[in-house]
Amino acid sequence: MTSELLKGFRMLDLTDEKGALCGKMFADMGAEVIKIEPPGGCATRTIPPFLEDVPGPDRSFYAIAYHAGKKSVTANLDNAEARALVTELAAKSDFVVESFPLGYLDSIGLGYDDLSRRNSRLIYTSITPFGDKGPGRNYQWADIISWAAGGMMYMMGEEGKPPIQMSLPQAGLHAGAEAAVASLIAHYPRQTDGMGQKIVVDMQACVVWTLMNEQAMPILHGDHIRRTGVFTGSADARRKMVYKCKDGHISALIAGGAVGGASTKALVAWMNEKGFAADWMLAKDWATWVPGMFMKMTERDRFEIDDLEDRIQRFFLTMTKREIYEGTLKRRILLAPVADVSDIAHDVQLEARQYFVEIDHDDTLGRKLTMPGAFAKLSVTPLGPQSRAPKIGEHNREVYGGLLGIGDDRIANLKANGAI
Amino acid sequence: MGRFALEGVKILDFSWVGVAPITTKYFADNGAEVIRVESASRLDVLRLAPPWKDARPDPNGSQFFASYNTSKKGITLDLSKPRARELVRKLVPWADIVAESFTPKAMRNWELDYEHLRQINPQLIMLSTCMQGQTGPNALYPGFGQLMAALSGFYYISGYDKDSPCPPYGAYSDFIAPRFSASVLLAALDYRRRTGKGQYIDMSQYEASLHNLAPGLIDYFATGRVIGPRGNASERYAPHGAYRCADEDGNERWIAIAVADDAQWKSMLGALGARCDDARFATRAGRIANAAALDDFVNGLTRPLDARELTRKLQEAGVAAYPVQNCMDLHQDENLEAFDFWHWLEHKVMGPSPYEGLQHRMSRTPGDLRSAAPVLGQHNDEVFSGMLGLSAAEIEQLKKENVIV
Repeated sequence: MTSELLKGFRMLDLTDEKGALCGKMFADMGAEVIKIEPPGGCATRTIPPFLEDVPGPDRSFYAIAYHAGKKSVTANLDNAEARALVTELAAKSDFVVESFPLGYLDSIGLGYDDLSRRNSRLIYTSITPFGDKGPGRNYQWADIISWAAGGMMYMMGEEGKPPIQMSLPQAGLHAGAEAAVASLIAHYPRQTDGMGQKIVVDMQACVVWTLMNEQAMPILHGDHIRRTGVFTGSADARRKMVYKCKDGHISALIAGGAVGGASTKALVAWMNEKGFAADWMLAKDWATWVPGMFMKMTERDRFEIDDLEDRIQRFFLTMTKREIYEGTLKRRILLAPVADVSDIAHDVQLEARQYFVEIDHDDTLGRKLTMPGAFAKLSVTPLGPQSRAPKIGEHNREVYGGLLGIGDDRIANLKANGAI
Repeated sequence: MGRFALEGVKILDFSWVGVAPITTKYFADNGAEVIRVESASRLDVLRLAPPWKDARPDPNGSQFFASYNTSKKGITLDLSKPRARELVRKLVPWADIVAESFTPKAMRNWELDYEHLRQINPQLIMLSTCMQGQTGPNALYPGFGQLMAALSGFYYISGYDKDSPCPPYGAYSDFIAPRFSASVLLAALDYRRRTGKGQYIDMSQYEASLHNLAPGLIDYFATGRVIGPRGNASERYAPHGAYRCADEDGNERWIAIAVADDAQWKSMLGALGARCDDARFATRAGRIANAAALDDFVNGLTRPLDARELTRKLQEAGVAAYPVQNCMDLHQDENLEAFDFWHWLEHKVMGPSPYEGLQHRMSRTPGDLRSAAPVLGQHNDEVFSGMLGLSAAEIEQLKKENVIV
């Protein structure tokens, strides 16, 4: 069942890995999302890893994840007939989202000015790595470039080693999700006054937004965060974020005051049961303990933090991730396992909420695949995903024939001359 | 039609900390009227966290709080008091959307959950967002985005190897979930316009965040493979990573480079004026297979060079590159400046302070940071007197009784 939430609205998805999540979110919310890709398939279909490490247009886990629920038509944008088809489709669509190099779609007659002339209601969202005005507007891009430009990379990694990215690139996902929000903001007045508009999403800004306001630190505190491995905070006040345990790692937020007082008190009580707490910890009023986080610490603060971290580390080494997590859930301690995908796949909470869904891929891969489910639970209009990612051009006939009324003969012709 | 896209939309916002305030900020910056219900008796913890104006702790001087609460109004009510909840119930019919982000039992205990509020406002859209969702054995899990980023897998895929996880900075998942919750709220508003039906939205920040990990999860379910940390290694690009450049003012400088194919590899060498006779690096497959040796080679080339200068050269040659920027660099970045990203707003207590702007720009109804964040109770009189018609004496009495606090 397709969600009723955005049922009846149509989006043309002309993105690559800079924005595929936008159309995925729209599809989950029930919009008809038509992915337009070149006859050989979109570049996202070549992103490794592949199912069983065998490349193939339907086997990229990226494409499986982020094209689920979309339809696919092919259009060779070098071909005038194909461009005319896209123009026709845009005339019957509510949203266009694209992430081509800046100005490319304008240069072939598929820019906002061209398409809005036929359809003034159109909301046209362009995802750009560096905006549309700055000196970097035509820069070459890869996800790691945005991670570096947006400031997250600088703060990830260890001193003495290079700054790092995550193993699953993230910048394009943030930009895609931002495109979804922005398109829907523009949708609200359009449904009253009938007027669309052009939107530009800036991926670099999207990454800066993930920095938890670290941007203001140099201005207000006169210093900036450097990469410090498992620690956080400035050198004068650093806190350990990650501890070893028997079978992996644990992340704990050791704080006092309103944020963590009750939690640290409960953790110390638990440590005391096993003989790991120091006397000063048992006497401490954690509700008023606020050593200078991010700021300079006193010698006493430093001693307390160091002693706590040392004892917590020894305590955690006696238990597994699961034992620690279960213990802290009972005691309401601010802590989480450094979970890997296998931990997440077997998580009791996600299971209880039936989060993961099985999606039929029988005709493409001869099997079902288990995927993340609805990104939110809605009482009236439950969300998807409802169907697998499309094969290349799987919906050519349905869309070009059904929607544009093009006969089978002409579709065969378009195929023969390489338009679709 | 007003100047802003969401003029006329009204949100009663009980949320706190990161995800939900960031969600409602999208609405506020685009013209919606958002009233944040806070309490000095239970402060939003971001008011207790730096960065602070002049590095001095003050609940009204936290830029951390301010950044996520622009364009909003703020009132103070101690919801543990029945009289405060009575006032809230009078505001509910006004609202299109109610948002909250407490652990699940709080709103139920106050009888301010959806089942109660829909009796007062049948068309209400209500968003509840907490760490792990409203139902299930771990619904009451207390936590912040730092922990959620660990629980939802992002720490594990960040690092050089399995033994050294290197967390992303801050509360990473707090910056994933809001784009999902804002989207679904906007879509729910449209659905209500079409059908007259409001509804309840339960968003688990865990479940939303996992969409940024989806390829790894699907792979695990299908094949049992566990994606782990791997520094900057890539199956697609080589070189791919951060390369050391010349230090600047005592600070390390690095440049990120990603080379997709052999033509770009040649362009890169050309831009650097370098030769490479190492047969291992002649093809993309060879460079990927010998990535560690390749990184050493590239580091040798970049080490004496200026990162910004090198970026220009490489980009001119068609090679993806950018300096690895720290937070001071971001304020000088010419591309962010061209996007008009940075804003200085006049805050009632902090004076002019630096805010991040929107990450998108609209041609017809552009949003804006319309005002700095409210100090505690800044709009008490406006709301209690202007909207609810309380007299000055009544408001004074409620303050005395610590209802408005």
